[in-house]
Amino acid sequence: MKIVIAGGTYEAEYIIKMFHSSKNSLVVINSSKEEAETLIKREHVAVYVGYPWRYFVLDEANVHDADVFIALCEKDTDNYASCLLAKKCFGVKKCICVVNNPRNVDLYKDLGIDSVISSTYLLGQSVKSESSVEQLIKTLSLENDRICMIEAVVLSKYRVAGKKLMNIAFPKYASISCIYRDSRIIIPNGQIEIKTRDKLLIVCAPEDQNKVMAFIQQER
Amino acid sequence: MSNKMLIIGCGRLGASIANEASLAGNSVVVMDSDKKAFDRLSDVFSGYKILADATDLTALEDANIKTCREVVITTGSDNVNLFLAHVCDKVYRIPHIYVRFDDPDKGLLIKEFNVEAIYPFQLSHDKFVALKSQEAKK
Repeated sequence: MKIVIAGGTYEAEYIIKMFHSSKNSLVVINSSKEEAETLIKREHVAVYVGYPWRYFVLDEANVHDADVFIALCEKDTDNYASCLLAKKCFGVKKCICVVNNPRNVDLYKDLGIDSVISSTYLLGQSVKSESSVEQLIKTLSLENDRICMIEAVVLSKYRVAGKKLMNIAFPKYASISCIYRDSRIIIPNGQIEIKTRDKLLIVCAPEDQNKVMAFIQQER
Repeated sequence: MSNKMLIIGCGRLGASIANEASLAGNSVVVMDSDKKAFDRLSDVFSGYKILADATDLTALEDANIKTCREVVITTGSDNVNLFLAHVCDKVYRIPHIYVRFDDPDKGLLIKEFNVEAIYPFQLSHDKFVALKSQEAKK
């Protein structure tokens, strides 16, 4: 994979460490000469010194047709401009833009950036999903919140406990993808009986998450 | 007809456009994140001054951006100007958007947008070429 890492200090160092291998070709760009020297010394990579939002910098650093472009500069708008330039003029397949202002996550995506990451936004999402469910239910969001994975433990008081899947009229907008029982994984079919203490892994759309949980938690 | 105009960035260019537009009877709002920048506005300026960072959409909405017919973007950062130009077109659908870029390559990123760009570099260059050709004719 050809990966471009633009800007950043300790984040850049971490990402370089993660992907620095013979399988990947890294292009590292940093606007600070001091930071570039640190990266060269610690990570033994070539660093191009320049602003990643300038056309000639991306051209000379040769980011053409890279698989991933990660923008880690301090200012959100600098990352925005760098990602767009990489995408539109250099044929980069996927751009990842790191932002400070969580409001920019949805906005930048609407304006054409593939993936926008804000630590505050992620924190908010994680608190939201943790607090919207009860103790026994955990959720995981995939594909930028478009897919939701629910992990639910079946209690004996639930109506679904002790019933075969074919007999519980499970909602059509969700699917039990896997049952975890006594350290074993069961890929369910209609004949499988749901037992108390089973852990169900359910896939659905985020908007159906509450309906699915309400269905599982119906009592006898 | 009076025209509502938002000018983002009250530097030399932004302030002089604001002064002229205000004098011509337009309803003008000027936004800048530096209070001192408003000192450049003349005594005849009768519009509103908003002290805010325009990259925060709440500030733009507080300035009633949706009702503007023209937005002029002249902050000191090309990247901020690029972002604001995209937001004014794609999010708020402003009929007339003017933006200043120091780096002429920024033009590559506004091709599909309803945005008019001004490049001081290009203007200076063209002026130089014109002066040279005048001299050659003499």
